[in-house]
Amino acid sequence: MSALPIDLALAWDSIPQMAEGLMTTVFLTVLVLTIGLPLSILVTLARMSKSPLLAVPAALFVVFFRGAPLLILLYLVYYGFGQIEALREGPLWVIFGSAFACAVIGLTLNHVAFMVDVVRGSLSAVPAGLIEASSALGLTPRETFTYIRLPLAMRYGLAAYQNEVVMFAKGTAVVSVITVVDLTAVANELFEETYDPFTPILTAAAFYWCFVNLIRLGFNALERHLNRHNVREATVKEPAPGAALPIDGAAPAAPVPPLRRMANFGRRTAPVKAPAPALSTATPKEHAV
Amino acid sequence: MSALQTSDLTAVAAPRPVAVQMTKVDKYYGKFKALSGIDLTVRKGEKIVICGPSGSGKSTLIRTINRLEPHDGGTIVVNGITLDGSPTSVQDVRLECGMVFQQFNLFPHLTILENCMLAPRLTRKLSKEQAEAVATKYLERVHIGAQAHKFPSQLSGGQQQRVAIARALCMEPPIMLFDEPTSALDPEMIKEVLQVMEDLAEDGMTMICVTHEMGFARRVANRVVFMDQGEIVEEAGTDAFFETPKSDRLKNFLAQILH
Repeated sequence: MSALPIDLALAWDSIPQMAEGLMTTVFLTVLVLTIGLPLSILVTLARMSKSPLLAVPAALFVVFFRGAPLLILLYLVYYGFGQIEALREGPLWVIFGSAFACAVIGLTLNHVAFMVDVVRGSLSAVPAGLIEASSALGLTPRETFTYIRLPLAMRYGLAAYQNEVVMFAKGTAVVSVITVVDLTAVANELFEETYDPFTPILTAAAFYWCFVNLIRLGFNALERHLNRHNVREATVKEPAPGAALPIDGAAPAAPVPPLRRMANFGRRTAPVKAPAPALSTATPKEHAV
Repeated sequence: MSALQTSDLTAVAAPRPVAVQMTKVDKYYGKFKALSGIDLTVRKGEKIVICGPSGSGKSTLIRTINRLEPHDGGTIVVNGITLDGSPTSVQDVRLECGMVFQQFNLFPHLTILENCMLAPRLTRKLSKEQAEAVATKYLERVHIGAQAHKFPSQLSGGQQQRVAIARALCMEPPIMLFDEPTSALDPEMIKEVLQVMEDLAEDGMTMICVTHEMGFARRVANRVVFMDQGEIVEEAGTDAFFETPKSDRLKNFLAQILH
């Protein structure tokens, strides 16, 4: 080995294997996040419900799974359920017999328990006046939630969610203890094959770093997209004093199409907003631009 | 007061139908009695101004009419709908009443046009084109049509409040409730909002306004209601209210606000 603790040739050769491990990590992360988000919203609604029949179990769920150590939780799901003979014989064994499925279950329980407070905080941050205004307009509580509260809460909670996602993505490394071959498991295998204590884990670290920063870039883009109603204000208002007339007179048509798309309730509510393009065509100039 | 009312009524020949009828309405916040024995009748086309010191229950009163606050005793009937707390009655009453708030409460993530289109599309089941036509019509009526594609944060307070009025009008409610619509505005913006409200009054809208704008009350109101400590202390035709106040509490209040 050279003066560097890193064996570049080994690192280079391990890239295909590492990439395979990364794919497992990514797949696991994306899967759990996809299951976890709607689930966290449902558990949060139960948690915030006035009915103790919903609120108490949801609160207990959060207390239990947020407190339960993830590593031990995974052990219990994977090895513990295997001890139950009825389960081994039953149809559910397809799930509990698979290390990957057990990892998804354990991680989801943990992730949702943490997300409930993120979602709850974001929903509570929506000003009561906006919810009142929406109800005063005759929107049902459900419509108010779908069109006003949730879209705004998403914006408020994005930073906290990004934190949770990044922590979670790196935290998936624990699944290597229940035989899922993720990025960390690949690094460990290579260590055991080569007895090189640095190269495999540093290579894996680089892969994790890239993954996490891709997540960051994704969130940045999402944030820009969702908060365009504020961003545009900043960009438009600054030149405004000098160029008040052009903005009032000529500009309105030009910036409209991106704004129309931004109006986020279109994204969530395709049925109602479906004819969105029709509105943009109402000012034909926009399309020429 | 009674003389003025009867002369009003004879002018219309038959008494106009009742829009809002409140009978012995009580409201508690915990042990605190926010409204006590409120009796108030508002007929179609009337403009009522409610005034009183802060904490007197004005906002609470107007918010019980569309049940943003549930009342604890008495009855409220709005255009024939009794507010009994059932979800359908709440929904129905909210379609009868448009409301404008002190803090505008425009939806920040939607454009001005979308703010106005949302409720008609969802509750009146208007098509996109119909809703846009309605929204454009009322936005132009409050002189803000040119800003339709901007976001609320890009408008001044007065403009936002005019949008809020247009948004409520888009539901074409027979009754409009105003809860201190100018209290959060800079002085130079109050006038443009009051002007819009006066136009609305001229068109015969039934209006109930909580406001400290006594000039507006004098110009527009048919009757003025003075509240203190959760009670209606005095209720009179506009001229009588300002010229010959009866109770000491109202005299003191008027002395304080009309310098």
